[in-house]
Amino acid sequence: MRRFLNAENKKGAGSRVSGVGSDKALAYLLLGPTVFVLFALSIYPLIHAVSLSLQITSGGITRWSLQNFVRLVSDQFFLAALGHTLVFAVVALTLEFLLGLALAVLLNKQIRGRSFFRAGLLVPMMLPTVVVGIIWRLMLNPNFGAVNGTLKGFGLNTAAFTWTSSPRLAMFSIIAVDVWQWTPFMFLILLAGLQAIPQEPYEAALIDGSNAWQTFRHVTLPLLKPAILVALLLRTMDLLRVFDQVFILTEGGPGFATETLSLYIYRTAFRFSDFGYAAAMSFVLLLITNIISAFYIRILQAKESG
Amino acid sequence: MGRLTMRKFLKYLLLLSVLIATLTPVYWMLTISLKREVDQFAVPPRWFSFSPTLEHYSDAFLNRSFGQYLLTSMIVAVCSTFCALVIGTIAAYALARLKMPARLNRKLSLWILSTRMFPPIVTAVPLFLMMRDLQLLNTRLSLIILYTGFNLPFVVWMMRGFFVEVPRELEEAAMVDGDTRLGALRRVLLPLVAPGLAATAVFCLIISWNEFLFALVLTQTDAAMTLPVGIAGRVTQYEIKWGVMSAAGVVAMLPILVFAMAVQRYLVRGLSLGAVKG
Amino acid sequence: MRIQAGIVIASIAILFTVACQSNTNSNAKQLTLAVNSGVEGDALKQAAKDYEAQTGVHINIAEFPYANLFEKELIDLTARAGAYDLIMLDDPWFPKFASQQLLTELSPLLQTKGQSGPDEDFVPTSIALGREPYQTGALYALPYVGNSQLLFYRKDLFAKYSLKEPAIWEEALAAAKTISELETNGAPGGGKVYGYVMRAAQGNAAVADFMPIFWAFGGEMFDPVGRPAVNSYEGIAALKFMLELGKYSPPGYASFNADEVGAHLLQGTAAMSINWPAWISAFDDPSRSKVISKMEFTTLPGAKNPGRAEIGNWLIAIPRDARNKEAAFEFLLWATSAEQMKRSALRGNPPTRKSLFTDPELVKKFPAYPAQLRSLESSRPRPRTPLWNEIENVFGIYLSKANSGELSPEEAMNQANTEIAKILERGK
Repeated sequence: MRRFLNAENKKGAGSRVSGVGSDKALAYLLLGPTVFVLFALSIYPLIHAVSLSLQITSGGITRWSLQNFVRLVSDQFFLAALGHTLVFAVVALTLEFLLGLALAVLLNKQIRGRSFFRAGLLVPMMLPTVVVGIIWRLMLNPNFGAVNGTLKGFGLNTAAFTWTSSPRLAMFSIIAVDVWQWTPFMFLILLAGLQAIPQEPYEAALIDGSNAWQTFRHVTLPLLKPAILVALLLRTMDLLRVFDQVFILTEGGPGFATETLSLYIYRTAFRFSDFGYAAAMSFVLLLITNIISAFYIRILQAKESG
Repeated sequence: MGRLTMRKFLKYLLLLSVLIATLTPVYWMLTISLKREVDQFAVPPRWFSFSPTLEHYSDAFLNRSFGQYLLTSMIVAVCSTFCALVIGTIAAYALARLKMPARLNRKLSLWILSTRMFPPIVTAVPLFLMMRDLQLLNTRLSLIILYTGFNLPFVVWMMRGFFVEVPRELEEAAMVDGDTRLGALRRVLLPLVAPGLAATAVFCLIISWNEFLFALVLTQTDAAMTLPVGIAGRVTQYEIKWGVMSAAGVVAMLPILVFAMAVQRYLVRGLSLGAVKG
Repeated sequence: MRIQAGIVIASIAILFTVACQSNTNSNAKQLTLAVNSGVEGDALKQAAKDYEAQTGVHINIAEFPYANLFEKELIDLTARAGAYDLIMLDDPWFPKFASQQLLTELSPLLQTKGQSGPDEDFVPTSIALGREPYQTGALYALPYVGNSQLLFYRKDLFAKYSLKEPAIWEEALAAAKTISELETNGAPGGGKVYGYVMRAAQGNAAVADFMPIFWAFGGEMFDPVGRPAVNSYEGIAALKFMLELGKYSPPGYASFNADEVGAHLLQGTAAMSINWPAWISAFDDPSRSKVISKMEFTTLPGAKNPGRAEIGNWLIAIPRDARNKEAAFEFLLWATSAEQMKRSALRGNPPTRKSLFTDPELVKKFPAYPAQLRSLESSRPRPRTPLWNEIENVFGIYLSKANSGELSPEEAMNQANTEIAKILERGK
């Protein structure tokens, strides 16, 4: 991201060929369609959602009211869904990051068949999320699925391994599925980041007599920071909005245990036709997402100026 | 020397196990798509010893509407990718090359990127109502429009990155020779970023192909449903048709995997929205 | 280069025109039918094919899994988009659609055919479901699939342990216990057989399997003045009993849906369950069943109250904003006629006509028909309220929590009661 925000400063002192005026018209022409489409599909719906959230319908009459937002505070289902989403995001992110980093460090040096490994690792990321949900629903079936079947083969008693029907295990399961699918993503970005680090700092550290851990901590990690932040940012955004896999894998169950915010909003809007309340909840989600991304971007930009 | 090879061996072992853990579930789905129902639920699981059948594939694509879902997915993905590429590339060009206040450029770029940050569910409800009012519910057109919007930020950021890497001198040389700005874009710049363009196109195809939430919300009949929605639809009240679902899943994933392998080189740049070079 | 670019552009242009084909059914010779993904939907799909062969009217099928079907239909009907000409409704959904005036009244249409009302041949409890208000009001839907719950059990295992057919729930529990404890290796392929299997996944699954026990124990969802009463003494006793049965069910039942229950019965790893008659034909299918000729079906046991099955008919209705009402009605009458329903029944779909339940050919093929008819005629529906969907959702969550051990039965029922009260409050 840093590279691109600084892109204008690249060599080439600007166009000497056409005048500034025609540039402006051209800019409107070229940027216009994009801005228009994005406005229509992002900003306008957002405004509409605001107005939806501020209305409630009772007894057939619709009127302006803050009722939807008031209801948020005391709705235990909303709070539970919010909690689930945050827990899911934090745990999955941590696991994916640690595993991805480990893999990236391992594969940083040239080993035979690296592109082969890389190709294999990127398979889960490319699958449609629906397909991922289905594969795992199949594998995790407590009685007929491959996971328990294999464990039974090793002699374990799988009676307690009800992956999608005990509340704790179900949350663990959806986290595990996400880790399976997206650790490669972390891995690829961190690997690219590692490979972009020049040799000199390492050589300097070697001369200074640092051991492997010290080198890692004081040389590698700081230089890897931009890649880490980008990876974390993008992954966090996707984790907070998780819908597809949970929809297929557990449908929010058992007993609401894995209901994430997106799922609850979807149900409220399309099953119970309560568009206003759904819109109000969407705003909370949007707010949280914005705060977190602003936080990440600030750290990134501070890094640039630093 | 012995210690070094031991280390290397362990490393390979670890990587191999990770690879197996990664690919086994996919392999499992493949086997389910080829097993008879009785074999699917056998305990212990039959990894290799089963008699394969193509009945689920023929059931899915001949009896049920998966052939239609496949066609819809292809049409929607290709059209939305094309639109996004055209609209987005010219916008990327503007941001990369045209003279404008740096702050405006930066703000605009960030704004375009930020639209990708919206959790889909936030806009799903109003967009559903919007499409309803425009009488576009349950049409492929609505999905094409929507996916174009999803792909745009991505195209803009990727292509901007590619454009910026090409030295300005090349276009300026062409323009000094009498070419217009847009002509220079077409004749000089585009061929140079063609690989990047191709990679971006593949990413857009993948994003559109895999999309689920909006397709679920906006389509009501087979005429407009995409492959992911069709697959999810196999989760029934009485019996999950695992065979059919897996067959459709395999078909859903194959084109994507082929494409993804083709653009492996650009993968990181694409996935991180161009922020980190591949 | 130029030619290649040209080809690409041309093919994209073609794709565009294909994409922009409008999907409207302005052609009167086409109908769109929304069906449930599953046995019942399959029957209607087959009927649609037959209809097309007979009359040339093409019927587009929009097939969705149970949960999504409700959403899709609700969305389409409230949006007045008219994508569907005919919709399948699970009977508990009916009050919501009917009370919001989203359906076409059928009596005027029947009158154009010279009928003052629906056929007398329809089972009264089934037809009553299609009326708003229940039983007495105007007719908005005709019943197509005559499901009402039966108790499925393994007659071979019951004979082996000298167990008699359970007449009350306590007997069923004792039988489940016996089989679970003694039949440790009898499953086809080895492994134990569980005495009972039920579905307790949140939502429709848990509620549908619980209601008959709830009613048998004397529980009622609403008291005489309409306040929620699930946490009554009887209600809590019923939930406790459900947990008892759960002890003899396969692990993970707390998130089972109908497919897991069916799989266990078919694989021979569970010996007893409440289930819908539509499943019966699966048990004799060698490609799916390991327990051919070993299952028996009977009416549900009672407890304090006599055993009454929960009715679960699938109805067919015509949306108010359907584009081809007359053509849709023609199909509806055709599909629910005795002749067509018999063909559907031969394919395994329980009918909703008395004459078919006593038809010799059908009874020969489905020996359980007399039991089914008894079950259907004495069945009772789930509470008829437009708020049923929210209530079922919430009630199902708490039932699931109780079954997974997260809450005690008292806590679950008390909290469920509070939430149901909130829903009623909001719905006013």
